[in-house]
Amino acid sequence: MGAHRDRLVEGVDPHLNVQVHEAAEGTTGPHRPVILLHGFASSAKLNWEDAGWVTALTQAGRRVVTVDLPGHGGSPSPEEMDAYSPSRIRADLLQLIQNAHVRPLKEGDDATGVDIIGYSLGARLAWEFGATQPELVRRMVLGGPAVHDPLADFDLPAAQRYLADGTPIEDPTTAELLRMATLVPSNDLYALLTMIEAIKIEPFVPSDAIPQMPLLLVAGEKDELAQSAPELARLGGKTELLWLPARTHANAITSRAFKNAAIDFLAG
Amino acid sequence: MAEISFPLPDLGEGLIEATVLEWLVAEGEQVERNHPLVEVETTKSAVELPSPQAGKVLRIFGTPGDTIKVGDPLIVFEVPDDTAGIVGTVPKEEAPKRRVRLNAVLDED
Repeated sequence: MGAHRDRLVEGVDPHLNVQVHEAAEGTTGPHRPVILLHGFASSAKLNWEDAGWVTALTQAGRRVVTVDLPGHGGSPSPEEMDAYSPSRIRADLLQLIQNAHVRPLKEGDDATGVDIIGYSLGARLAWEFGATQPELVRRMVLGGPAVHDPLADFDLPAAQRYLADGTPIEDPTTAELLRMATLVPSNDLYALLTMIEAIKIEPFVPSDAIPQMPLLLVAGEKDELAQSAPELARLGGKTELLWLPARTHANAITSRAFKNAAIDFLAG
Repeated sequence: MAEISFPLPDLGEGLIEATVLEWLVAEGEQVERNHPLVEVETTKSAVELPSPQAGKVLRIFGTPGDTIKVGDPLIVFEVPDDTAGIVGTVPKEEAPKRRVRLNAVLDED
């Protein structure tokens, strides 16, 4: 007999930085945790703590679990590319949920299963995770989502040329993603580029596996990366789509309307 | 009543300004400490600033789209004199020194 911790889904513990935030004192909410998945080149701190999500959710009576993706925030940056592949990260998430002793969903028991909120790359990972783990995931909120992972189109050679000798990057999405990646000192740039390589090998194909639980999709009206959110919404079975006026991919995350909609949706 | 002003705080290395996205409080509103005050965006990320102070919001600076420099005024609160560390009413002309000292303590808060 071993602890859950001893039973490793992938055989190797990635030592991801996981933080648990308990519901605020005096609040009541469903007991199942809300797992927060941050975006590329962000971190649990930037995406969820600094943007006010952890406070909003814990004040709404929810227990919150954040995790830094490999190469991000306080998580290690392994050298091998496999550590960054979406399938491997989904296995790590399953491990995390197992370590937290989460029980499969049972009708009428609010202490079973999990809810997930993902932003950008985190939304893609959530889509795939929810589709393959329906017995664990009750509801999901996907922010800044798209039918296509913009990281799969990232011009890696152009980024490497730019980093080597400053040659300008032609593709605006590549330039913007690299700008974001270099802005956050806690991020390991080499690890982030390795993650892009891994994502190019496993691009997002949302129709491959479709989550059947209720989904709330949220995107800024000016979010260039999430213009295809309606296509994704049409794929899902029970899906709502919320547009945030005047918001972009970078600044939709702090929106109070986004937080309130997510909290209400997950309480439903 | 006393007034306490807070500037836009330092938001991390190298960042000198932020753009107001949305105010989450209005002038005249009573807020608790740590209540979300305002969303701002820097070149690095968007952040929600919690209130450093409990009190009535007297004045807010900047509307959505406006840029505020780190250190420039962001918000002014009105707080009861006892909250501000002043017990009772101290007429200015009678105790100017004491009042100055207490204000200095407040600034460090």
